[in-house]
Amino acid sequence: MKRKIISQAAKKAKPALTGPAMTGLTAVKLAAAILAAVMYTVFAGAAAFAGENVPYQTYNYDYWRDVYYTPAAYIPDVSYTGRDLGAGNLLNPQDVFVAEDNRVYIADTGNNRILRLKPDMTLDIIIDSFLNNDTADTFKMPSGIYVTGKNEIYIADTDNRRIVALSEDGALIKIISNPKSEVLEDDFDFRPAKVAVDYADRVYAIVKDKIQGIMCFDEAGNFTGFSGTINVSINTYEKFWRRFSTKAQRESSAQFIPTEFTGLDIAPDGFIYATNVDTDANQSIRRLNPKGEDVIKKDNSNVSQKGQLSGDFYYRQGTEYAGPSRIQDIVYRGDGIYSVIDTVRGRIFTYDHEGNLLYIFGGMGTQKGTFKLPAAIEAKDDKILVLDSLRAELMTFVATRYGDLINRAVALRYDGDEASAVALWEQVLELDANFELAYVGIGKSYLAAGENKKAMKYLKLGMDREYYSIAFKRYRDDILKKNLGYVLTAVSLAVIAVIVRKIVKRLKRRGDEYDE
Amino acid sequence: MNTMSRKEKLLYIFYVITHPFDGFYEIRHRNRGSLPVAMLMILLFGLSFSMNRRYASFVVNSINPMYVDSRQEVIGIFVAVLLFSAANWSITCLMGGEGRFRDILTVMGYSLLPMVLTFLPATLLSQFIASDEEGIYFLIVGISIVYSALLMLVGIMVVHNYSFGKTLITIVLTFAALIIIIFIIMLLSSLVQQVYYFLDSVYTELVLRA
Repeated sequence: MKRKIISQAAKKAKPALTGPAMTGLTAVKLAAAILAAVMYTVFAGAAAFAGENVPYQTYNYDYWRDVYYTPAAYIPDVSYTGRDLGAGNLLNPQDVFVAEDNRVYIADTGNNRILRLKPDMTLDIIIDSFLNNDTADTFKMPSGIYVTGKNEIYIADTDNRRIVALSEDGALIKIISNPKSEVLEDDFDFRPAKVAVDYADRVYAIVKDKIQGIMCFDEAGNFTGFSGTINVSINTYEKFWRRFSTKAQRESSAQFIPTEFTGLDIAPDGFIYATNVDTDANQSIRRLNPKGEDVIKKDNSNVSQKGQLSGDFYYRQGTEYAGPSRIQDIVYRGDGIYSVIDTVRGRIFTYDHEGNLLYIFGGMGTQKGTFKLPAAIEAKDDKILVLDSLRAELMTFVATRYGDLINRAVALRYDGDEASAVALWEQVLELDANFELAYVGIGKSYLAAGENKKAMKYLKLGMDREYYSIAFKRYRDDILKKNLGYVLTAVSLAVIAVIVRKIVKRLKRRGDEYDE
Repeated sequence: MNTMSRKEKLLYIFYVITHPFDGFYEIRHRNRGSLPVAMLMILLFGLSFSMNRRYASFVVNSINPMYVDSRQEVIGIFVAVLLFSAANWSITCLMGGEGRFRDILTVMGYSLLPMVLTFLPATLLSQFIASDEEGIYFLIVGISIVYSALLMLVGIMVVHNYSFGKTLITIVLTFAALIIIIFIIMLLSSLVQQVYYFLDSVYTELVLRA
């Protein structure tokens, strides 16, 4: 394609060059124009294969848990520094939130202020103080922010040891501080790091050094309990050695304490999506129901039969970019899709409601669209926003056709409309013939339509044992049903033949006896 | 002494797997076993093992066909059987075993027959079952593996004229010997490599000085 255009340009240029009125200057100009045209076609071609000029690789894991590279699902869009926004440089910003009306809130932690951007990403207002009992009050290291559907702003004012709720115009609604309960120690230091609010104005907070779980408060701000407590797991090997170690040894060895939560988000149905650190790389993502139990779905349909929700399955050991993914924050993007950000390798992992990995992209670096220390992730329309605390930048990523097709197909499947998803899945396969979820999607809709043989083909390509088996059984039953008549006829004819032969033989023998 | 025809030699394996005690006894004391047939069995087992890994349906198979290398696997099976036989021979020599090396090798080869007979049909069957029927497949494969293991146990017991307990002890020791053999081979290869690199560097030095 590229070559064709270039040769056409050269052909067109040729008669002009040999023309009599040709001067040296125009020849140079023309040569430059041809060069520009060639360059343009080359670069336009590169842009068509989205991913070639992206500073990171997009990949996924297949059924065998092998890495395979896919077209780019999201590519870097605009990045905003504080200066770009006209608010001076940000300092160690820790959280970003996109409200329902698409306004963006940034917790500029080091500068003790909150930035509000209009939906078109221009600066709206800066909140750095509010009136508390008619006196001006300020923030100290506000590191978490959440905005409800009524545009009430909840700020985790970490070093002031409180959660502040402000109305849209900046008036104080309430302050949650110093929670009292018999389950909390008397000298408990309440330092909320992240905050979220559900549809009934219940407040959920991740509190620093509080390992019992996410703290829950009712709409009046009273502490009601912990949600999503992570149990400590000791394996048999450790139990064995602890049995044989002395008390002094046991005290000096590492303690088994539950991991801390790192980030949270709330889905419209009130379920909490939370992330935690997991050094075993098993589960870093939790979906908590109103009772505080983890109800997330994991994808077991891989060769290890084990569902892991913790970013990368493989990682090297060492110092740089090594070790299990450290999942820092989560965003629920609707239709069961959620994305998480990893601070070790700067990757964004996107899952669907069944725990299937949809696409993985992002990386560390200093180029546009790469991170130094990502702190928070959010979604706005079809864009993903990542706040980098070290670069003090808000980066946006926009979906490519590939990413957009997957998002839409998964959304249709989430709504149970597998049939309309097929057209989208087919387009996904044109871009990425290794995408197993697409094969499964197509296979399932063939299965629903009763085309068992086609369903078998696609479900096998998608490596889905369970649904392949369903399709295969139906196909096998069909064949048996169709041919059962012939089989039964043949069997009964054979039986009749044997009986007839026996009778004939017996009669013959009787005849022989008579003859004697 | 041994006047079995080629056909008799081949059919004798089936007698062995149905009458292991008599069969293995006659291999040791009446020379009714055949080393070439045992080798053939090892080759056939290597092939059926590899075919099973490569072609069993994905419903029951958790091996990525992309990483199956049949040649490597057949050679691997040969090496494993030879190593185990050598280890067993070196142990039983010291523990009053009556079997010769060729008897041990014949026992190993002949005992593989149940697996040779079932792996290919099981592979074929796997194409016609759903995931909740995988029990049938694993039952067939499992039974043949257990049967082969029992045959090996009986074979080693009979050719060495051991009691059951002593057989188990020698098998444990065999694995220890196996590890020592592998260790010595690795040591030797590393030493040879060092000598080679030494000579190689001497050569390089001489060539570059000249």
